Amino acid sequence: MIVEESKTEKKKNLKPYVEVKDLVTQFFTSRGIVKALDKVSFSVYPGEIYGLVGESGCGKSVTSTSVMDLIPDPPGRIISGEIYIDGFNIIADLNKMARIKIKSETDVRIRRYKKAIKRHNNVLSKIRGDKIAMIFQEPFLALNPTMTIGDQIMEVIMLHNISSISNSILRRENISSGEVRNFITEFYSINDETQKRKEVNNFAASYAIQEFEESILSLLATSDDKQYIENEILNMVRENRTGMNIQNIREIKGYFDLQNDIFQNTLRLLQAERNGDSSAIKQFNSELSKLKRIEASSFFLLRLKLKFAYKYVMKEYRKEARRRTLELLTLVNIAGPEVVIDSYPHELSGGMQQRAMIAMSLASNPRMLIADEPTTALDVTTQAQILEIIKDLNKLIGMAVLFITHDLAVIAETCNRVGVMYAGNIVEESSTIEIFNDPKHPYTVGLMSSVPRADKKREKEIKLETIPGTVPNLITPPSGCRFHPRCKFAMDICSLKKPKLVEISERHKVACFLYSDESEVE
Amino acid sequence: MELKYYIIRRLLVLIPTIIGLLLLTFILLRAIPVNDLIANYVNQKATPAEKALEKQQAITLLGLGQPLPVQFFTYLTDVANGNLGNMYSAYYNGGVLRGIELFLPVTLEIAIFTVIFSVLISIPLGTFIGSRPNSVSDSVGRVFSLIFYAMPIFWLALMLQYAFGKNLLFLGSYGLPINGQGFPIQQVGFVHNHTGYSYSVPTHMLFIDAVLNLDFPLAVVAFEHLILPVLTLSMTVLAGLLRFIRAGMVDTSNQEYIKTARAKGVPEKLVLKRHIRKNALLPSVTVIGLLVAGLLGGAVVVEDIFQITGLGRLSLAAITGTSGNGANIQFFGVAGTVLFFGLILMLTNLIVDIVYAFLDPRIRY
Repeated sequence: MIVEESKTEKKKNLKPYVEVKDLVTQFFTSRGIVKALDKVSFSVYPGEIYGLVGESGCGKSVTSTSVMDLIPDPPGRIISGEIYIDGFNIIADLNKMARIKIKSETDVRIRRYKKAIKRHNNVLSKIRGDKIAMIFQEPFLALNPTMTIGDQIMEVIMLHNISSISNSILRRENISSGEVRNFITEFYSINDETQKRKEVNNFAASYAIQEFEESILSLLATSDDKQYIENEILNMVRENRTGMNIQNIREIKGYFDLQNDIFQNTLRLLQAERNGDSSAIKQFNSELSKLKRIEASSFFLLRLKLKFAYKYVMKEYRKEARRRTLELLTLVNIAGPEVVIDSYPHELSGGMQQRAMIAMSLASNPRMLIADEPTTALDVTTQAQILEIIKDLNKLIGMAVLFITHDLAVIAETCNRVGVMYAGNIVEESSTIEIFNDPKHPYTVGLMSSVPRADKKREKEIKLETIPGTVPNLITPPSGCRFHPRCKFAMDICSLKKPKLVEISERHKVACFLYSDESEVE
Repeated sequence: MELKYYIIRRLLVLIPTIIGLLLLTFILLRAIPVNDLIANYVNQKATPAEKALEKQQAITLLGLGQPLPVQFFTYLTDVANGNLGNMYSAYYNGGVLRGIELFLPVTLEIAIFTVIFSVLISIPLGTFIGSRPNSVSDSVGRVFSLIFYAMPIFWLALMLQYAFGKNLLFLGSYGLPINGQGFPIQQVGFVHNHTGYSYSVPTHMLFIDAVLNLDFPLAVVAFEHLILPVLTLSMTVLAGLLRFIRAGMVDTSNQEYIKTARAKGVPEKLVLKRHIRKNALLPSVTVIGLLVAGLLGGAVVVEDIFQITGLGRLSLAAITGTSGNGANIQFFGVAGTVLFFGLILMLTNLIVDIVYAFLDPRIRY
């Protein structure tokens, strides 16, 4: 039932892919300020599945949306904190974007600075979907009802993957016998069967000839004549050429590469601005304006065409994107992808919709996926299949997953590490196996004893325990430790000070005064 | 293929609807006392004996003595044969169908320009204010649309006339031509019929005909005559549409799939254009159909105020029907114009439904 924690030791020296530090998110409503998140910190390492678990209304979903900075504004805002995605702090400019004046709980004035917000959104739109993707609780609501599944998935590819598509098209059009020969010798030098498959897959993907993957495999399996195989593969690829306008593709590639350069430069400029390095700011600013001048002078006509005849200009790319989409749909085990790609969300079942969502989130090969209760709206068999897909993707691609759920069984089945949330705080964080076998925080203990379990014998009581009370109203949260009104072991200090999340044993963190005296600095 | 059958089905449904419409107008009009209905056929200056004889003759001629169902059936047969009867008024004398043929295009021209103008203005404006709810521009837009939505058409028409036509706000001493008279008619391919009415060919809409005949000076004049009526009618339609599009935009931007779009990394501009606006405009298509109904009612008023020779004034003339012997209601005139107003409304709604089915993949037909 419980996933073995295997690579924890190895992870110690790794850099986290997503690191959240002291994240505070609040919602300004007419009834008062909802303190949804109160200094949440956690990090997700590459290749692991990190679970966030807790009762309804304890801030799990707010955490996940905050990580992507998708909190709807108004009413919500991230107040402070740091979110590092792949080493880049996406919310370093909070003070530049808005100034918040709190006069009273119900009277909050927010002054927004449009220019900074626009730049922030521009930067984030390149990060979202590309480096980090998200799937949602109710796939039916999360898919655009008036766009086909294919269009919605292709949109991601067309936004983030133009450069790689250009590369593979160019490679396919200019394929040489030497490259094929290299591939064949490479293939024969590998002994492992799965490695061989992977090699063929890589080859097919980099030349955008995925539909020939099977025939190449069978060709390699049936024949030993290298010269013959080489000619066959070359023929296959050459027949697949569609007589595209290579000049056109080169131009588009050039334009999107330039766009990418501009973006990278903007990131560097932002970093320099944060560090207050004036000479670097000057340098990056001049570089940026140089790039923009190139954009304006040499791509004027292309930009005009893209603006008014996008579909026509990009039609080769759309064809490639469609092929990738079909591949993605096959990857997530959708039956009949050729039909599904042209159907609308309402024509699919819930499980299919969630699969399509997953395919969409994988479209640009992100290194991390946020799954916000992806199985809650689905029935149990579909739920198992979806979990299986997520686990497979984690294993095959090495994609990190932030998995949010209230279902402890799902956590046990999928996650490597777990954070337990209560009322906007992470109260305990540990490996899955440890949290199930040795929960420390009274809230976690309560959660564990409220679940029927097959692997533990219950000596005394047959009745399931519940935690008394409900999640507090976060407009006026309890002072000190937010769990103390419901806690069996509450002490005097609990209502006065807020416990700090401290490591009590190796990789096991708890925020409770039962285990440590350290309190959060106000 | 399915859409084709849907259209055929909807067209077939039109037939009972039209019969229902005819029945309703027939019953309502037949509720008028017979004396008033046949007043046209009786010489009021004649002696009582002669009057009684003429009355009797008129009743026999029109078949008013027969049972009502028989009368209705006779009326239906006549309508099916294209015989809508005659009407007599100061505005128009002659066959009702002929009159409709003459005057309907003028009303249609105004209606078409009104719809085009309001849609062209309200979509970008609604997108703009709907994408920044509770901002200053949003508040201003909402207040103005509410004012224009609530404003009576006749008052607005008079005020516009006063401001641009008579009081010469900024158009010099001439102002805009505010009535439908004074066209240089000899320049375009006009056709005179036997009653002396002249109309343009081929569409009977002066502005479009002038453009088609490459008579641009006339087109300019015709266009000037269209400005104020179209502006008046547009204000209500525009205000209604604007409010609806704005509400749709705000509602759609709170949907979950907009969050998905942002999570995919779609830039804000594209989120607005591709995801929010497209979904927000869908219900507005239905509203356009509803607003056309209000527009037809407004056309009667506007045509009267701006002296436009349109179907609205024809129906007004049929109701007041001044012809020699004082005011007499024109049965056939009223029935005919009501039938055509109804037809326009039904066809508009049919078109709207088809367009909606075409745009929204969720509609099953």
